[in-house]
Amino acid sequence: MRFFQKKMVIPALIVAFLFFLPLFFKGEYYLNMLCTLFLYVILSQSWNILGGYTGQINVGQAAFFGIGALVTRLLWTSGIPFVPALLGGGLSSVILSLLIGIPALRLRGHYFAIGTLSVAWIALITIENIFPGVTFLPGKYVATYSLLPRYYAFLIILLSAVIVISLAVHSRMGLAMESIRDDEEAAQAAGVNIFKYKVIAFAISSFFAGLAGGGFSFFHVSYYWSMPFALMWCFEPILITFIGGVGTIWGPIIGSLCYVALKESFALTMGEINVLIFGAVFIFIILFFPKGIIGIPEKIREHLTKRMGTNVGRDVLGKSQP
Amino acid sequence: MKKRKFWSLAGGICFSFLFVFVSITFDFAYGAPETIKVGASVSLTGRFAAGGVDVADGYKMAVKHINEDGGIYVKEFGKKIPLEVIIYDDESDPNKTVTRLEKLYSLDKVVAYLGGFSSAMNTAGLAMGEKNKVPWVGVTIAAESVFSQGFKYTFAPCMFSFMEVTAFFDAFDSLPKDKRPKKIANFQLQSDWGIECGKYLKKYGAERGYEIALVQKYAKSTSDFSSLIMAAKTAGCDAVFSVPTPPQSMTLIKQMKELAYAPAATCFIRGPDLSNYWEVMGENANYIITCGEWTADMKYPGNKKLVDAYQEKKPGKIIGMQVGCGYGALQILADAIERAGSLDRKAIRDALTKTDFTTVRGHVTFDERGIGQVPYSLCQWQNGKLEVVINPDYTTAPVLLAPAWDKR
Repeated sequence: MRFFQKKMVIPALIVAFLFFLPLFFKGEYYLNMLCTLFLYVILSQSWNILGGYTGQINVGQAAFFGIGALVTRLLWTSGIPFVPALLGGGLSSVILSLLIGIPALRLRGHYFAIGTLSVAWIALITIENIFPGVTFLPGKYVATYSLLPRYYAFLIILLSAVIVISLAVHSRMGLAMESIRDDEEAAQAAGVNIFKYKVIAFAISSFFAGLAGGGFSFFHVSYYWSMPFALMWCFEPILITFIGGVGTIWGPIIGSLCYVALKESFALTMGEINVLIFGAVFIFIILFFPKGIIGIPEKIREHLTKRMGTNVGRDVLGKSQP
Repeated sequence: MKKRKFWSLAGGICFSFLFVFVSITFDFAYGAPETIKVGASVSLTGRFAAGGVDVADGYKMAVKHINEDGGIYVKEFGKKIPLEVIIYDDESDPNKTVTRLEKLYSLDKVVAYLGGFSSAMNTAGLAMGEKNKVPWVGVTIAAESVFSQGFKYTFAPCMFSFMEVTAFFDAFDSLPKDKRPKKIANFQLQSDWGIECGKYLKKYGAERGYEIALVQKYAKSTSDFSSLIMAAKTAGCDAVFSVPTPPQSMTLIKQMKELAYAPAATCFIRGPDLSNYWEVMGENANYIITCGEWTADMKYPGNKKLVDAYQEKKPGKIIGMQVGCGYGALQILADAIERAGSLDRKAIRDALTKTDFTTVRGHVTFDERGIGQVPYSLCQWQNGKLEVVINPDYTTAPVLLAPAWDKR
């Protein structure tokens, strides 16, 4: 318990800092950046519970993100208060995930990935046909637009995502998910209801992806209806999670921080070449630190232990020889 | 004695005037900023980079030429102030467009925004202009519906859907009566722009005596057009109108050739207007009609200077249409700042509403929605060159009807 309390000190301080930040700091650009950062954290956390903890590679996150954005925007602009509209967006994603998950989660490995990617494509084409235009916030909303409610909305969704996913993965359910990821047959043989836990993980993942989409629709004054369904929303959470560290709570947070901050500084200072540099950084991380940035200290420790161990061996050998 | 008194008084008055004049001048000069900052979020990387780089080049050229003349005269400060354009890459991501424009507003303190390349980015961008009350002058946006939201700070000196369709029928009217296409197929892209064009095709077609014989819808992600093409071929359509995405404009032509469908007129407003279209498509691009918002041949004032400067900077590169559009947008903004006589954003916005100015792409005014009234212009690929075939001020070639594929 004391260990748990100790572990909570840093996150609690970070949360307190983020909550009070806008009271002392009014820079709209930085608040904007933080909103974007929070959006990526939520989306990558939502991908991580299914992909990182349960081992089901979902390449169709855009469909769930998009449906959340669509439903939230429709409900909110029709006069329903934002919070119920947002929950409606999250729930619509869960419903979609159940409709898709029940047949798709019987697929394994690459087949599941291809299946989810197909869902994202179908969703994109369907939305492009049904909603070909642009959604604008009504004039009264534009006149009173403020970043502060957006900032807190994103922050609250992010905290809920981190807390719920953290509790889930540190519970009995989390053990079941990890066992499915590590060896599906062994988990089944040990009596784990693999289908049930996959569906639960998919539902949680989709719920938060839907909430992230709702946040997106709250944040933007205008956008093409199809924009939240774009395939970039499928790949970016995967990229971020792999950069940060897959299958960890901190991974998506650190990954998003690097992705948003690095990309921003590269894009603003290096011009067109930033894509090349960022690509090189990404390849470097994947090649040399497959556990992501979060795995770097462990990698260094391992490396040092190995070197020290080799040296110790040499000394022993040296002494044993006359 | 009296004389001495007079000269003392006269000297005192002159000194007082001089003092007041110097004080005022010093005060004005002291308050003037070093540069007039305007900002743009443009796709320099990602899927819209091809057009984005051209837009950015247009801005840079315009700034260079304006600053060579000392900058923009601002009455409030009583002098010319150099212009500075801050361009950030939005990586073809509308989220980044919002972030970049927010940075330009809150940190860089720009007095006006300039648009980016694609509609998706511009839609996010113009809303930022309205939210922050910063005048936004767009470059590539054609959907009229976007400008029906009652926004006050957004301006687009571009050809909109109704102008494109009008110019399309003007092209047919320029032909002898017996040679005009009779049955038109509308391959309708499912976007606000595509749907709007469909609406105007139907309306103006009926008014001007052309039959829209077929409407076939497709999505932005469609890559197989064989069913549309076969339907048009079966219906005997001798003209096709569409606003495909640039990759789709290439796929469509290839598939039309494969299926031996050769309408007398093919008008793709978007895609063939890109500078590299001929390089990619070769002879297959011949006879295709496209948007003609700006070409290097245009005789409007300042255009030759732009083209010469571009060719000096990028020798051998074909100058893209968006270079001229970007250049023209900045000319309009500079003119508005000068007329506003102030760097106040609302004053610049008010001056923009009264724009009546000839740019490198022709004469521009704005209606009450911020939609630019620009010359309706269409081009046609004729032996590797984009010829201006429809324009109220001049043309460089007549409209040509396409023969069968094996005779091109």
